[in-house]
Amino acid sequence: MIYLTLEKRLNFSTWTRIGISIAAVGIALIIGGIFLFAVGVNPLTAYGMVWNQVFMDYWGWQDLMVKMIPFLLTGIAVAVAAQMKIWNIGAEGQLYLGAVAATWTALQWGDALSGWVMIPVMILAAMFSGAMWAAVPGFLRAQFGVNEIITTLLLNYVAISWVDYLLYGPWRDPGSNNFPVTREFSESAQLPLFGDSSVHLGLILGLVAILIVYFILEKTKIGYQIRVAGDNLFAAQYSGFNIKWLTLAIVMVSGALAGIAGMGEVAGIHFRLKQNFSINYGYTGIIVAWLARNHPLAVIVTAFFMASVFVGGELMQLEFRLPIAMVYLFEGIILFSVLGSEIFAEYKLKFKKVGN
Amino acid sequence: MEITGIEWFVLIGISAIKMGTPLLFGTLGGVISERSGVINLGMEGLMLVGALTAFVVDLRFGSKITAVCMAALVAGLVTTIHAVVSITLRANQIASGLALTLFGTGLSGLFGDRLIGETVVSLNNIPIPGFSAIPILGPIFFNQDIMVYFSYFCVVLIWFVLFKTTLGLNIRSVGEAPEVCDAIGLSVAKYRYACVIVGGMLIGVAGAYFPMVLTSFWVDNLTAGRGWIAVALVIFAFWHPGKALLGAYLFGAAIALQLGLQTMGIAVPSYFLEMFPYILTIAVLTAVTIRNQKSGASVMPASLGLAFFRGEKH
Repeated sequence: MIYLTLEKRLNFSTWTRIGISIAAVGIALIIGGIFLFAVGVNPLTAYGMVWNQVFMDYWGWQDLMVKMIPFLLTGIAVAVAAQMKIWNIGAEGQLYLGAVAATWTALQWGDALSGWVMIPVMILAAMFSGAMWAAVPGFLRAQFGVNEIITTLLLNYVAISWVDYLLYGPWRDPGSNNFPVTREFSESAQLPLFGDSSVHLGLILGLVAILIVYFILEKTKIGYQIRVAGDNLFAAQYSGFNIKWLTLAIVMVSGALAGIAGMGEVAGIHFRLKQNFSINYGYTGIIVAWLARNHPLAVIVTAFFMASVFVGGELMQLEFRLPIAMVYLFEGIILFSVLGSEIFAEYKLKFKKVGN
Repeated sequence: MEITGIEWFVLIGISAIKMGTPLLFGTLGGVISERSGVINLGMEGLMLVGALTAFVVDLRFGSKITAVCMAALVAGLVTTIHAVVSITLRANQIASGLALTLFGTGLSGLFGDRLIGETVVSLNNIPIPGFSAIPILGPIFFNQDIMVYFSYFCVVLIWFVLFKTTLGLNIRSVGEAPEVCDAIGLSVAKYRYACVIVGGMLIGVAGAYFPMVLTSFWVDNLTAGRGWIAVALVIFAFWHPGKALLGAYLFGAAIALQLGLQTMGIAVPSYFLEMFPYILTIAVLTAVTIRNQKSGASVMPASLGLAFFRGEKH
C-alpha cells in the first residue's frame, strides 16, 4: 500500500511560504472562476478583461492606487493588533467613526480654516475617534478578558446605525433632494490629489503609517514588549510588562489607523459622508493582514493585491452586472485557500510505502 | 382599538420567541461544534446560505419541509470547507470562520441578487391543543409555527445526547482532551467533523427561519448580524443547550421590544433602537465573562480553538 503522509519540513524558508501563498491565490482564482462560470460569465474572458483594463491601463493603475489606500490602513490596523494576538474585527466600525469625525470637523470649520490647518485637524480627529471607538472593546479585553472578536465585530453594526442616524437626521444636506448625504466639504477639507489623477494624500498617509508602525515594532522598547507579549504572554508577565496597558494601547492604535482610512474615503474621494462608502474595507483589512502574516511591510504588497481583487470585481460589476457580493465570495475563497495551504509550508506531502 | 398591558405582553412574547428561534438554532449549532473543540465564526455566513437556500427552494417548489432540509444540507456542505481547513489542514479556526462568513455572505449575495422582490408565504402558527389554552404562556409558547416546536425538540435532544449518552461524553472529551481520546482509540477528527457539520446544518436551519417566517422575502444580508449574536450566545449559554434557549429568548425579547417600540412610534430615532441588541450583547458578554473569572471554574471546552496534532505537542 502506498500512503500519502505529511512529513515535517526540517527547514522552511520565507520563500517557500511566499511560493505556497502565491500558489494558493492561483488556486483561489481557479475556484472563483468556477463560481463565475456558474453565474454565466466565462472566467477566462473575465480575467483577461481585468488584466487588460486594470493592469495594462493607466486609469486601471490609478484605480488600484486609490483602492489600495483604505486597505493599507485597515490592513496595518489589523496587523498591529495581531502582534499581541488580538483580533480586531472592528476595523469597519472604526473606519466609519473616523469618517464621522472627519466629516464633523469639515462641516464645522471647513469654511473658516485653510487646508494647511484643516487636513491635520481632520486626520487627528479621525484617529482620535477611531481610537476611542476601539477603546471600548480594548478596555473590556484588557480589564476583564472579554472576547474582543465578538465585541469589535458587534460595534460595527452600531457604528453603521450611528452613521445612518446622522445622515437621515441632523447632517442631511437640505439641498440633497432627500438623499441621505451631507453637504459637500469645502475645498480646504478635501485631500490634495496627485497631479491630475484621483489618487489622494491618503496613499502617503498609509505608507507613512506603515513605516512608523514598522519602526516602532522593530526598534523601540515598547515594540519589543509588544512582540514578546504576542509570542509568550507568560514571559511578558514575568518580565513585568504592563499587559493591560499594552493591550489597550495597541487596540487604540489599531482603531486610530482604521479611522484614518475612513477619513481618506470621505475627504479624498466622496468629499461628503454618505451611506455604504465602505465596501467591507474594514473586513478586508483582516485578509490583507493575514496574507501579510501581520508583517507591516508585507501589508503594502497584500493591500495592493486586495485592491486588484476589488478593482477587478468592480469592473465585473459594470461589465456583467454582477453584484458586489462577488468580491466577498472571492475574499472568502482566497482566505480559505491561503489558510488551507499553510500546512504545506511546514509539512511536505510524502508518499510512503507501508506493509508488503 | 385599545391594547391592555397583558395583551401587549403576550404580543411581545410571541414575537420574542419568533425572533429568538433563529438565534436558538444558531446557538445550538455553535454549542455542538464548540463542544468538540472547533469554533465556528462562520455563523453569519452560514445563516445567509441557509436563508437563501430555503428561500429559493420554497419559491421554486413551494415545499416548506424540503426548503428547510435543503437549507440544512447546503449549509452542512458549506461548513465542510471550514471542517477540512481547520481540522484536516489544521489552519487557524478563527481565520477560517471569518473566511466562511465572507464566503457565505458573498455566495448568498451573488445568487440572491436576482430574487430580490419575490415573496414566499410564511409558515402558519399551529396551536397545540390543550397547551395553547394556558393563559399568557399558552399563546406565547404553544401557538407557534412548526419550526419553533422543532427547536424545543432540538434543545431536549441535544441536551440528552451531550450529557446522557456515550456519544455525548466522547464529543465533550474530544473538546477537552483530544490527546487522551486519541490514546484510547477515539478518532478526534471524525468526531470533530461530525460536530462541525451537524452544527453547521442547524445554523443553516437558523437561516431558513428568516425568509420562511420573519420576512418572507430576500434581501442582501438578510440576517443583519444575528449570526454574530449567536456566536456570543454560545459563550453566554456556557456551552449548554438549555441555557442556549434562555439566552436566545432573552435576545429575542430584546429584538421584539425594539421592533415593538419602533412601531409604536416613540420619540427615540429608530437608528438608536437598532443598536440596542448589539449593545446588549456586548454588555451581557462582559457580565458573563466577569462572572466566569470570579468563579474561577471555566466550562469552556479546554481545547477549543486548538487544532489537534497527533503525536506532537502544541
